[in-house]
Amino acid sequence: MAEMVKLFVNGQEVEVEAGKNLIDALQVVGIEIPHFCYHPALGADGNCRMCLVGIEDGRPPLVPACKTPAQPGMKVLLEDEKIKKIQRDIMELELINHPVDCPVCDQAGECTLQDYYMSYSQQDSRMNVEQVHKDKRLDFGCGVVHDQERCVLCARCVRFTRQITKTGELGIVNRSDQARVTIFPGRPLANRYALNIVDICPVGAMTSKDFRFRQRVWFLQKDPGICHGCSTGCNIYIDHHREKYGDDVIYRFRARTNLQVNGYFICDAGRLSYKTENENRQDRTLVDGVEVPLERGIEAALDKLNRARKPLMLVSPDSTLEQLWAIKRIATLYGAVLSGYSDAYVLAGDGDDYLISDDKAANRAGLQLLDIDSGKESFAAALADADLLVNFNNDLFFSPGNEDLQEALEATDQVSVCSHDRPAFSRATVILPCASYSEYGGSIVNRNNVLQRFARAVCRDADPCDIIEITRLLGGAISDNARAWPGLRQSVPALSRIWPERIPVEGVTLNSSEETHVGA
Amino acid sequence: MGAKVRVVERKGRTFLEQLYLLEVFKGMAVTLGHFFRNLLDNSRLYVRHYPEVRPEISPRWRGRHRLTRHEDGTVKCVACFMCQTNCPSNCIIIEAGERFDGRSEKMPLRFDIDLLECIYCGYCVEACPMDAIRMDTGIFSVTSDNRESMVLGLEEMLRTPGAFDEDSYQKGVR
Ligand code: SF4
Ligand code: SF4
Ligand code: SF4
Ligand code: SF4
Ligand code: FES
Repeated sequence: MAEMVKLFVNGQEVEVEAGKNLIDALQVVGIEIPHFCYHPALGADGNCRMCLVGIEDGRPPLVPACKTPAQPGMKVLLEDEKIKKIQRDIMELELINHPVDCPVCDQAGECTLQDYYMSYSQQDSRMNVEQVHKDKRLDFGCGVVHDQERCVLCARCVRFTRQITKTGELGIVNRSDQARVTIFPGRPLANRYALNIVDICPVGAMTSKDFRFRQRVWFLQKDPGICHGCSTGCNIYIDHHREKYGDDVIYRFRARTNLQVNGYFICDAGRLSYKTENENRQDRTLVDGVEVPLERGIEAALDKLNRARKPLMLVSPDSTLEQLWAIKRIATLYGAVLSGYSDAYVLAGDGDDYLISDDKAANRAGLQLLDIDSGKESFAAALADADLLVNFNNDLFFSPGNEDLQEALEATDQVSVCSHDRPAFSRATVILPCASYSEYGGSIVNRNNVLQRFARAVCRDADPCDIIEITRLLGGAISDNARAWPGLRQSVPALSRIWPERIPVEGVTLNSSEETHVGA
Repeated sequence: MGAKVRVVERKGRTFLEQLYLLEVFKGMAVTLGHFFRNLLDNSRLYVRHYPEVRPEISPRWRGRHRLTRHEDGTVKCVACFMCQTNCPSNCIIIEAGERFDGRSEKMPLRFDIDLLECIYCGYCVEACPMDAIRMDTGIFSVTSDNRESMVLGLEEMLRTPGAFDEDSYQKGVR
């Protein structure tokens, strides 16, 4: 537990964490101090002056909250008429040359300037000279589009490229009303985290080319989720919406703060991976290439499983612990060899020392926890021996490298349980559609052994079943996530004291100190 | 309390009225009297000869929608979705895209109003920051024999002119 200090805000005593600045400390107890330039990941810059608060009997009596640590006995004034006037004046200053493009601005609805105008300003412009015009719709590269007129010069974007990516593509040139954010000529943004700038820009000056104009943000339903783009398991918001007469479609992923996993940011590839959730989905049940109802597909699969002498089951390293457990159980039921061979998911050298990892599978640690063999030799041997391969959404051709298995795969009868229409699944005689990660919930373990839980977000019209449901239809005993846990607790020592509903939102680190994190 | 109570004497208790037959004929006499009088001379009828004679529509009448243009012919709508957001029957569907005519950055690529669901409340017109959508076409009869054609598209709405001159429209909406 962090050390707490008592201080006064508008005469009322509050207890806050010591060591934090006033903005962060008071935010925890529900008191907002308006600010533009401060961002917890980038530190205080002190350039916007929106966060000025009064300190009663203080020397000086007026301080920027972003640079002032919470101290015991401090008497913070927020409601004071002087402070309100300062806030009004700063807002007036910010809006002197602001185009107020809100009708065509993607930020409208989640714009700090709009919100602060309503809460702290609400005054008409007194300017009667022509506004300063700057450049709009500047392509800064990496899918970031900049509007210089809307910029409030908080320098968050500049600090992001200097402190976080250390690439320093952005800078502010000129002074006063001519100041503008820009890139060096011919040197656009070039880093794998650039789209975070769109998230951290408090106004609509940085927009995403990909999301631009596609939807107004107030229509979007914003559900928490976990990115399945690599084994880091970054926390995201899944922003989706069902347009009238349309299907539930994901419009964007955004970073969700989790200091234990990804901090405040996510990588661009993960951010754009929402597209694979919308596109190229396998929604039809196929038996010998003919579309049939799911029940018929299940019958066909059951028939094959019952007749197979040596079935082989292949699981995906993206599947949740619960799904892996359910598959493991039916593998035992049918006497099948179980493999988690998935070298194709590892792109050696693609990772970096920040968030991106080489391994593009979301739950490989889970695969290892459940003691599922992932070796290539054993898989190749089992494949040569098997007369039926049941593939649970493992894309063997995610990346090149498995061409030598092609022949053995062609010689084996296959049942594919898959969420996407991909070459690895299309050869199967029975294809059963299943849900993808935005459409089911479960628990996964990331590369640092952090166990995280996520819930279902999207509900498409096709509504394919979860893999667990498919294992149940194939004769398994596990019918939902909750029923997988007694078995998981019993057979996996690291999970023996885990109750999924007690996993905190930021996840729990396994092995090292499981006792301290979750009390049984 | 305080409601005024007035006792009305019940009519129709006399013997002749109780017979009914006589009253029926008295009623028929009135009806037939009107019928023949109008048959011989219909100039005093209080009936509009629709559709030969069209009703006069006032400028503030909320008819079928249209999308307006700037003087140079460019589309006024900037696809801000305010109308869609404000529409109580959720019958406006817009898709937006980039715009390069120098007017704005954004414009509608698709703008559908499902007239079967529209309740002609005019909230879309009131929400529009650009005066881009109006219901001043004077079209009050929206009929069709199939559902699809009741969805009004972007082209159709841009094509339809307003039925009033600017001054009387502005006076009407103020
Ligand atoms: S940045 Fe905010 S205030 Fe400025 S145009 Fe965009 S939404 Fe409006
Ligand atoms: S572009 Fe956005 S983040 Fe960058 S300085 Fe301007 S307002 Fe701040
Ligand atoms: S008139 Fe009313 S119901 Fe019809 S489109 Fe406009 S806002 Fe919607
Ligand atoms: S018609 Fe008006 S309110 Fe509707 S999208 Fe266009 S500009 Fe916005
Ligand atoms: S947030 Fe403190 S000066 Fe900008």
